[in-house]
Amino acid sequence: MGIDVAKFDRLFNPKTAAVIGDKQALGYSWLNSMSTFKGPVYSVQIDEREIPNIEAMGYQNFKSILDVPGDIDFVIVSVPRKFAPMVLQQCIEKGVGGATFFTSGFAETAEEEGIALQDQMQQMARDANFMLVGPNCMGLFIPGRGVRFTTQQYSGEAGPVGFIGQSGTQSMYFSLLGGAHGVKVSKAVSLGNAIVLDVPDYLEYLGQDPDTKMIGMYVEGVKDGRRFFDVLKDVCKRKPVVIWKGGQTSDGARAVSSHTASLATEYTVWESLVRQCGALPVHSLEELVDVLKGLLYIKPSTGTRMGIMALTGGQAVAAVDAFAKQDFTIGPLSDSSYEELSSFFSVIGASYRNPLDISSNLPDQTVLVRILDILERDPTIDAITTELTTSLLDRRESMGEGYVDNLINILAEHRERTKKPYFCTVCPVDQEVAAIDMRDRLLARGIPSFPTFHRSANAYRKLVTYNEFLQDS
Amino acid sequence: MTQSQTLQSAQSEGRTFLNEVESKQVLRDAGIDTTQATLATSRDQAVEQARAIGFPVVLKVISPDVVHKSDMGGVKLGLKDEAETAAAYDDIVASINANQPGANIEGVSVQGMARPGTEIIIGMSKDAQFGPVLMFGLGGIMVEILKDVAFRIVPLTRRDARSMIREIKGFPVLNGYRGQEPADIEKLEDTLIKLSEFVQQHDEIKEIDLNPIFAYKDGLTAVDARIILEEQAG
Repeated sequence: MGIDVAKFDRLFNPKTAAVIGDKQALGYSWLNSMSTFKGPVYSVQIDEREIPNIEAMGYQNFKSILDVPGDIDFVIVSVPRKFAPMVLQQCIEKGVGGATFFTSGFAETAEEEGIALQDQMQQMARDANFMLVGPNCMGLFIPGRGVRFTTQQYSGEAGPVGFIGQSGTQSMYFSLLGGAHGVKVSKAVSLGNAIVLDVPDYLEYLGQDPDTKMIGMYVEGVKDGRRFFDVLKDVCKRKPVVIWKGGQTSDGARAVSSHTASLATEYTVWESLVRQCGALPVHSLEELVDVLKGLLYIKPSTGTRMGIMALTGGQAVAAVDAFAKQDFTIGPLSDSSYEELSSFFSVIGASYRNPLDISSNLPDQTVLVRILDILERDPTIDAITTELTTSLLDRRESMGEGYVDNLINILAEHRERTKKPYFCTVCPVDQEVAAIDMRDRLLARGIPSFPTFHRSANAYRKLVTYNEFLQDS
Repeated sequence: MTQSQTLQSAQSEGRTFLNEVESKQVLRDAGIDTTQATLATSRDQAVEQARAIGFPVVLKVISPDVVHKSDMGGVKLGLKDEAETAAAYDDIVASINANQPGANIEGVSVQGMARPGTEIIIGMSKDAQFGPVLMFGLGGIMVEILKDVAFRIVPLTRRDARSMIREIKGFPVLNGYRGQEPADIEKLEDTLIKLSEFVQQHDEIKEIDLNPIFAYKDGLTAVDARIILEEQAG
C-alpha cells in the first residue's frame, strides 16, 4: 500500500551495523547489546575519553559514520539531541540502510527546542526517503540477526512472532516474557516518536514478511487512523494480529450533540475497529503473550466442545466454570466413549463424566493414555485440555520417582498423535517455581500451558475467534 | 429538493442540523425507511395535514432550541381526530413556551402513528482518529442505561452489519422474546449498509441519530431522526 519493502528488508535483515555515541554513562549498553550481532559492528565516537574503552571492548572506532568502511545496513544512534540532525545527515550521506535514534528530548518534552529539532529531522528524513526509526525509542530486536536493544534479550534463536511497540519498556518486557513462554520474535520494533515510520508502516511490512506468522502489538494511539484501519484489515486476512491498547481512558470532554456520539468513546470505537478488522484485542502484557502462545502452539480450530481432564473433582469444577464463562461447551461424551471408559475407569472418588476427574486413575499411567485416546476418538469433542497442578503431582512423585517424567512423555506423545487442539493448565498454588519448571518441560515438548483455567480458556477462545474470522471471510 | 440540495442549503444558511422533517426526507431519499413527516406552522395547517395523512397522528415540536422534545412537552402521540390535533398543537406551543421560554418554535411535524415494534437505535458519529462510525443497539433502557451498543467503522460490509447486530447482548430480543414479534434482521442489515453508503457520500454530516426505529417482522421504520452537520469552514 505504500512501503518500500526492499528498504525494510535491508534494515530488518542487517549484515553490517554501527553504533554512534555509546558511552560509559550508559554502560556501553548499545555495544554490549550488539555483541551478539551476526556481522561486523563498528563504533562511532568522537569523545577521546570513551574511545580507549570502546577499543578495549574489541570494537573498531571511527570519528564519523562517513569514515566507516563498506556499506552499513543498520545504525543505532545515541548522541545528545543537538547532534542528532548532523548525525542523521551523515547517515543519509553514507547511504546506510536505516537508523534507530535512542536519542530523546524531542517533541515528547513539549518544549520548543525539542519540537524544532524533531521537525528538522523529520523533514530531512522525508526528503531523503530515509528509514528513520524513532527517535526516543529502543529500536529493533531481531534475534535471528543478533540485533538486541538490551543484553537481557535472547539472540540466535528467532521465532515467528512480529512485534510493534509504542513503548520501549513494554517492547522489552514483551520480548522477555514472550521469550520465557516460547513466544519468540522474528522482528520487533519499539517505534518511539515515529516521526517517519509509523505503526501502519511496520504493520504493513510484518504483514508481508514471510518470517512472521503472527503479530503482537502494544499501541497507545495511531496518527493516520484510516490507513491503520486499511492495513490492519488487510493483514488480518493473512495472519493473526493481537493488539494490546494502552491508555484506555475516556475522552469525556468532547462536545457532542447526538446520542450516538456520546456513546462512541475513543476506546469503544477502538475495540470495534480491532474486531472489525479481525484482530484480537487484549488488555495486558500477560494476555498478549498468552494469546500469541495459544496461536503458536495450539492447532487452528473453530471447535468449542471441550474435553476436560482434571486431577481432582474440585479442579474439574473450577475448569468447567472458566471454560463455560468463555462460552465453551463441556457436554456429555458419546455413548461408546462411556462404554469404553466404564470398562476400566476407577470411579471411586473420581468421575468419568466430562469433565473427567481422574484422581483415582492416576496411579496407573496406562489408563491415562487410554483416556486421552478415547477423547481423541470421540466425535463430540473438539479440543482437549488437561490440568496439571504440581502441588498434587508432587505427592505422586514421592510415591515413585519418575512419575512426572513419564506423565509428560504420555502427554507429549498424545500431542504428537492428536489432530485436536491440546493444551494444559498448570496451576502454581504454592509452588510457583515448580510450576514454571513444569511449564518449561511441557513447552519443550510442544505443549502450551497457562497458569489458570481462565487464562487457558481465554487463549483458546481468541484462537477460535480468529479461525472463525478466517472461515467467515 | 434532492438530498444534496437540502444538506447544502442548510449548511450555507449556517445551520448545524436538519430538523426532523428534513432529516427524514433526506434519509428516505437514501433508501432508509422512516415515517413521513410534514411541517405545519399553524394549528390549521396541522389539522389539515393530519386529515390528509389519516388518524391517529403524532405531533412533535420543530425547534432548533429544544433537544429533549418529550421532556419539554413537545410530543403528542395517538391523536385520534381533528379536535385532539388542534388541542395538541396549542398544548405543544404552550408547553415549550412555559418550559423553555424564548425557544424558537418553527412549527410542528405531523406524521402517522407508527405501529409499535422492537425499538432500535442506529446512529453515526465521527471518531477523531478513524472517521465515521456507525452504532447499532436496542432502544430505550438497553442503550440509555446498559449502553448495549456495537460500533463499526464506515464503510460497512455485509459481514460487518451482520456481526454488529449479533454482537449486542440484547440480540435474542430481536429473534422474538416471549411472544414478541421478531425483528426483520435482514432489513436492519440493509439499513446499516445504506446508512454507511449515505455517510460516505456526505462528508458534511457530523452525526446522525435514528432513534427510535421500530423494527417489525417484515420491515422497519425510523420514527425519529436527527442529522447534525459539520460547521462550515469560514
